[in-house]
Amino acid sequence: MNAPETNTVQPEAEPKAGAATMPVWLLIALLVIFFYAGLYFDARGGWFNPRLHAPYHSLAQLEQFQPKADDGGIARGRAVYEQLCAVCHGSDGAGKPGQAPPFAGAEWVITDSVGRLIRIPLQGLVGPIKVKGVEWNLAMPAMGASLSDDDLAALLTYMRKSWGNQAGVITPEMVKQVRADTASRTQPWTAAELEKIP
Amino acid sequence: MKHGAYIFLASFLALSASWCGLVLAPQLQLGRQTLSPITGTTDQYPQRRPGLAEAGLQVYRAQGCVTCHSQQTRQTGAVFDVVLNELGTNETAVALALAALKVDWKPADLQALPRDLFRGVDFAAADAAERTLKPTGAKFSIAVRATGPDIERGWGLRGSVAADYLQDQPVLLGAQRLGPDLANIGLRQPDVNWHLNHLYAPASTVQGSTMPPYRFLFEVRPVGLQPSPAALKLPPAFAPPAGYEVVPTDDALALAAYLVSLRASVPLFEAPVTVALPASSAAAPAP
Repeated sequence: MNAPETNTVQPEAEPKAGAATMPVWLLIALLVIFFYAGLYFDARGGWFNPRLHAPYHSLAQLEQFQPKADDGGIARGRAVYEQLCAVCHGSDGAGKPGQAPPFAGAEWVITDSVGRLIRIPLQGLVGPIKVKGVEWNLAMPAMGASLSDDDLAALLTYMRKSWGNQAGVITPEMVKQVRADTASRTQPWTAAELEKIP
Repeated sequence: MKHGAYIFLASFLALSASWCGLVLAPQLQLGRQTLSPITGTTDQYPQRRPGLAEAGLQVYRAQGCVTCHSQQTRQTGAVFDVVLNELGTNETAVALALAALKVDWKPADLQALPRDLFRGVDFAAADAAERTLKPTGAKFSIAVRATGPDIERGWGLRGSVAADYLQDQPVLLGAQRLGPDLANIGLRQPDVNWHLNHLYAPASTVQGSTMPPYRFLFEVRPVGLQPSPAALKLPPAFAPPAGYEVVPTDDALALAAYLVSLRASVPLFEAPVTVALPASSAAAPAP
């Protein structure tokens, strides 16, 4: 029998971890990359705001993209008008004999005493009222409970700017103020009462 | 277990880090979403689905529809359209404003209103148009339109956002699109019968559809004394043999009702888009 071969080759030494210094250029490159990543996140990331989804990256930008109704809510006002008012007052604002007085050119609509105008849809109106020289004696139901301040303001603005009317805008703040002033009122107004309001 | 405490601590840290990232952070970010009011109405978005459609969600889930269909429309940008509606009383001012905006127009164009002034412009251009036109007294509208490949495919009006899924339990976003995105299928195909025909024989409604038929959701049975009013009206190539009719089961009806209820088109603050409001039905129930 042959004698077992002796292993004369020495095994390679186990590799050992040495202390290798990180190249300075790599360190600087990483710092620059992190810096720009931070800038990019700051500008585009939206800071985890739950209302921000791609492609928008800030609330200010989102605000710019909110749909604008033509001329400050005219479209919304028209929608409310067609839903609530047009049945009696007509889509053309001309009113209907025996049902409702006209809005086109009506002094009650284009009046500067907006407090009177806002009160009518809020609490309703009963009894005789003179519109464009014609006497009406009907009852208009209160709409205040079903209309938000925004909707009522858009509606009245639409009425004051349509069918040849050219009166000023009614803002939701005006409606809010009148609604607060008349919170205790449950009865419909009469024309005589309204005329006392400045 | 020489290092038992270290192993425990390391695995605890690893798991709690992933829990924080996958559960806690999304909950902190999106967990307080509430319903949003729908502009022009007193309704809130999203509304709960009808009962049959809620049942259909579970059928959708059970049949694995989510494997091949996503429910998320992606949006890559947004652009503005500026439309001139009325000239108002000062036509000269409008003409000067249009010249200042470098709009290519002829006097005859101003008689044929409404007319597009700009299409697909950015915010700066739309803002300039608004500032220039407003003092002239002309009436104009500025519409916001979403852009992106999904929008071009007609899969939705705007990108999907977290608020769209508030009423879904579970949320079936989907990760694959072997079939089209279904986030707005109820807008594209509002007809329940279309969906029933499509589920029974996909190729009968979509030529070349690769969707497998779901015939086990239907009953093919001999016509009784009276044909069933619920029987499908299929094209001849897909109709059952003479004397038989195809009647949907409750599951098929629920699934079709769910598909019809998939509509994410209401404009939200976080996903602005201009949707033409029907003038005569402002407070109509939102889809």
